[in-house]
Amino acid sequence: MTTYASPIGSSLKRVDGPGKISGLEKYAADYYPDNFLWAGAKRSDHPHALIKEIDISPVRNLPGIFAVLTHEDIKGANRVGVPEMDQPVLADRKVRYKGDPVALVLAENKTVLQEAIDKIVIKYEPLPAVFDPEAALAENAPLLHENRNDKNLLLGGRVVRGNSIAAMSECDAVAEADFQLPWQEHAYLETEAGVARVDEEGILAIIASTQTPWRDRNELAYALGWPLDKIRVIAPYLGGGFGGKDGITVQGLLGLAALHSGGRPVKMWNSREESFLSSTKRHPGRVHYELGCKKDGTLYAMNCRIVLDTGAYASLGGPVLALAMEHAAGVYRIPHALIEGFSVYTNNPVGGAFRGFGAPQVLAGLEQMMDILADKIAWDPLAFRLKNAVMRGDETGAGVWMSNSTAIIPCLEKLQEHPLWTSRQAWVSQAPPFKLRGVGIAAGLQGTGYGPMVADIANAKIELLPDGRFRIYSGVADMGQGNNPTNVQIAAEVLGQTADCFELIQPDTLQTLPSGSSAASRTTYSYGNALKAAALQLKERILTRACNMGMGLYAEDFLLSSGRLNHLPSGREIPLGLVAASMRPEERVSIYSYTAPVNRYPDKINPDIRAAGFPHRVFAFACHLARVQIDELTGEVEISDYLAATDAGKVLNPQLYEQQVQGGAVQGMGYALWEDFKLDRGELMTRNLATYILPTSMDVPDILSIAVESVEESGPFGMKGIGEIVINLALPAIANGIARAVGQHIFKSPLTAEQLLLILEKRAAE
Amino acid sequence: MKIAFELNGIKQEIDYLPDRRVVDLLREELGYTGTKEACGSGECGACTILVDGVSKLSCLMLAAQLQGRSITTIEGMSPGKKLHPIQQAFVDKGAVQCGFCSPGMLMATVDLLQRNPAPDRQQIRAALSGNLCRCTGYQKIIDAVESAAAEMRDKL
Amino acid sequence: MSQVFLPHTLEELWTIKQENPAALIMAGGTDLLVKIRDRKLPPAVILALENIAELRQIERQDGEICIGSMVTHQQLLDSPIIQTQLPVLHQAVAVLGSPPIRHMGTIGGNICTASPAGDTLPPLYVLNAGLELKNAATSRLLPIQDFIQGPGQTLLGSNEILYKIRISIPAPHSQGFYFKVGQRKALAIAICSMASLLQFAEDKRILEGRFAWGSTGPTVMRFPEVENTLIGEKLSPIILGRLGQSMAALVSPISDVRASAEYRRLLASKLPLKIWQSLI
Repeated sequence: MTTYASPIGSSLKRVDGPGKISGLEKYAADYYPDNFLWAGAKRSDHPHALIKEIDISPVRNLPGIFAVLTHEDIKGANRVGVPEMDQPVLADRKVRYKGDPVALVLAENKTVLQEAIDKIVIKYEPLPAVFDPEAALAENAPLLHENRNDKNLLLGGRVVRGNSIAAMSECDAVAEADFQLPWQEHAYLETEAGVARVDEEGILAIIASTQTPWRDRNELAYALGWPLDKIRVIAPYLGGGFGGKDGITVQGLLGLAALHSGGRPVKMWNSREESFLSSTKRHPGRVHYELGCKKDGTLYAMNCRIVLDTGAYASLGGPVLALAMEHAAGVYRIPHALIEGFSVYTNNPVGGAFRGFGAPQVLAGLEQMMDILADKIAWDPLAFRLKNAVMRGDETGAGVWMSNSTAIIPCLEKLQEHPLWTSRQAWVSQAPPFKLRGVGIAAGLQGTGYGPMVADIANAKIELLPDGRFRIYSGVADMGQGNNPTNVQIAAEVLGQTADCFELIQPDTLQTLPSGSSAASRTTYSYGNALKAAALQLKERILTRACNMGMGLYAEDFLLSSGRLNHLPSGREIPLGLVAASMRPEERVSIYSYTAPVNRYPDKINPDIRAAGFPHRVFAFACHLARVQIDELTGEVEISDYLAATDAGKVLNPQLYEQQVQGGAVQGMGYALWEDFKLDRGELMTRNLATYILPTSMDVPDILSIAVESVEESGPFGMKGIGEIVINLALPAIANGIARAVGQHIFKSPLTAEQLLLILEKRAAE
Repeated sequence: MKIAFELNGIKQEIDYLPDRRVVDLLREELGYTGTKEACGSGECGACTILVDGVSKLSCLMLAAQLQGRSITTIEGMSPGKKLHPIQQAFVDKGAVQCGFCSPGMLMATVDLLQRNPAPDRQQIRAALSGNLCRCTGYQKIIDAVESAAAEMRDKL
Repeated sequence: MSQVFLPHTLEELWTIKQENPAALIMAGGTDLLVKIRDRKLPPAVILALENIAELRQIERQDGEICIGSMVTHQQLLDSPIIQTQLPVLHQAVAVLGSPPIRHMGTIGGNICTASPAGDTLPPLYVLNAGLELKNAATSRLLPIQDFIQGPGQTLLGSNEILYKIRISIPAPHSQGFYFKVGQRKALAIAICSMASLLQFAEDKRILEGRFAWGSTGPTVMRFPEVENTLIGEKLSPIILGRLGQSMAALVSPISDVRASAEYRRLLASKLPLKIWQSLI
């Protein structure tokens, strides 16, 4: 009998590593079924237009073309979208952005596919278009969805706390600024991809790079008019998601193609350019802040107005706005606050889910306001934050009750005692010739889960196999964050097995159980809780069965280890396979349904905002520090050092935790400095990776990560989700560092070298 | 057009369209989907393979260019299922998250360590600068390369 | 489907070219294949030069360095001759593209693509590089500044290839510099680039100063009248600053998706100071 180190808390190697690094793990893009057809979409040339005629006759009989489909071939509702179903699979009456798909071609190869797409003629009657959300809210703005009562306003509302207008005049110091945030492209390495086939029994099976296999199934049934029980969606490991695959991307078109391919498999894999054109993006926005405090450093009043451009279709533009509003006061107690938010339709690309989900946009503004205000009262910016940061039991300025673990203050304290902070003045003064240096910080939070009105449920299933090993039926797609490997770690902990005793089935609507989306920082929290309980159930059943079999008298006398049951009093070892053999198949399967707790909050605010997810209950917290060095000759910003102190509860796997911190920080650095998404009247100017600039390995530093371990009682083994908090703070930390180096704050991001050099030049001239 | 080349140590002779991209030939015709595509225009490195031991972008190569060459793809790094030390280092150091960039990163690393068996972190960053990653922030990949380099030097 | 030819000798090349007059010459493929993918060029017969060994040589003969047109950027980086004799070119290829791009891309390709942002071009301009063009019958020599006429436009004849690049070895006590500003540190098209070759006397006064500017006009630009103002001066931030101001007034940058003309012009005024920054 051996003892083993507890898997939880150890850097257990991710079980998906070997398959991925040997090139054997298959992503959705890697499937090439026998006799498959390529599917590709003809997309709109206009940002806003009526479709007068779709002429597919020039291509229908081209050699190598199997079929050309339009909305007329769709039997179902031809609408997808959650929660608002306003997006067609194929445009019917009009197109609303350059990228709206109008026709679908099925072809034998990609060459003839492209030829056919080029040859399809669509007659449009262009409509006046609108590209600015404020303009879209104006009286006579062109309407995107004509039947809506709220016209171009997808969602709007306000959160009121006290009387901030009056309170602002009682403040000793007030700061005000307008922040402009850009679109951000997910730019996952694996673009949207999948294969689909309808078999002899009429089952439409889709393998797709998707974060939402069960929801996809529901949406497809409705949109395509195919029976729900005849649709199967499988989600292999995704080559990245970040929210861009949260919902229907290619699945609708794939399903439609498969229903018209005469039983042949179909494949769709967006080129990078098509991904840029058609995929959702982080909502760009304008955030206006007015923030006031007393001279003793207490924050007293805040006015915040958020306008998000949600583009042509709703996608998750409502929930993103609600989360932005919820996070607009950050981690601070502010007695008087007014938060207004608007999520507005325009003829721009669709804004959707993207890691952080509204929090990056508001924290970018708020955390710079904190520095500006601290300077006004001559307070140290870190001390100012400490003075106002919430503890468990407090309410934030947005009225969100911190009912669960809240360790933002220890995070700030970790920064405060760290040499990167304590030595900042010396470091800045040692700037080499032609360089300017600054050190900036930012603090923030991220609510996890879906909020009070959408149930966050995960259904775990784990099976003891006849050979004594175990099979985990994963319910939540793994887009790289490692929730699948973590499932193994959790099950290993409960069942006393080593990682190699487990098999994993990836999410599959036929074999595994509905467990919600891979999103909202919930994947390990929710599924992990379900799995932990399911594994515990199975363990008890195994031990009881061993007693049943006469192997021992009391369940508590047994210890599980890899492939064995050890009877401690006698020293006897029983192979698990033996116990398994004595069980009926249904006894070897354990299922557990977990529902995440929600914030039970009196209806103080607009019910539509509440339905969209305000407020959450469990929050992750963090504060980041960036040391920046600016080249005065070019405006280029180098991030010399970067530190993240994170409260995501207990650390289940230190290596995996760091993976998230490092990766999220760098994606945040991209948002801060390089990812300048450019559009001109609905036309993409940055349409590929040559013009949309992602940071390379030479552009970013090593990132120091400190885990501040609160205990989140509701999370499996005390953890909370970390997926999104990690991206939220790079922009404001860097912006604050730049402001200290340059001597002024810059309110438009990304903070490109061009913007910086022109500002430095202007300052020098004055 | 008949093309004869060596792939992962095995001689291939195929009849193929000469202007077909090598990345397509590998993935679609030969079933070696370990080599990925993420941009098609040389901007991301996901399609990196070794051609006569030198790292090149298979999305910017034509099938005809394979004639007489020796190609190594990610699948050729671990014949018989035992991971190559560099692959093992990637696994051990947590350098693989979504994994889509990983094969390209691996091939770029093989090229680097052939040229420079003892690179420092800055040199590693430079050597991997043609491979984009959206998940890891690069740091653990650098850790893995450093570790693999040390291990491979020790074995000599 | 298009044919792809990979001749092993120049003789084979001329024959194929004659039979396929519309064939596109391919060097490393890193520009050509991207253009075909972007549909800026129609699919066509491809004539790839990579197997012609005599195009891949770097040789030093009588005070001149000859670089075959198909020499890759990596070959230039690895070459002791280039590193010691032509450091301004060496510095440029070190920041060109990325490692795999450098393994595939060639100096000849960079020249014939004739993008104003091409990293090898400003160094070749300050080195007064001569280009040997060859066809089946004959060859001719053109200075690089005459060969490149505009963005993507060269005097390469339809029956010619670029054969060799000929560079006179700079005088002793010369120092070369290449500075490039891109949107990031790798895989970056130059937004503004500057190559400089400075020749010093014993007393550190400048005997000759050459400056070539990339990405600030339709072709790489030099301004001899401004260069002449350096003669006899010692390097200082003031001299370099003044030089930058003068040159910045003369460049003609455009605004595009990567950068505005204003930013490019401002960079042009500042880049000479990078020489000072690198020396202190």
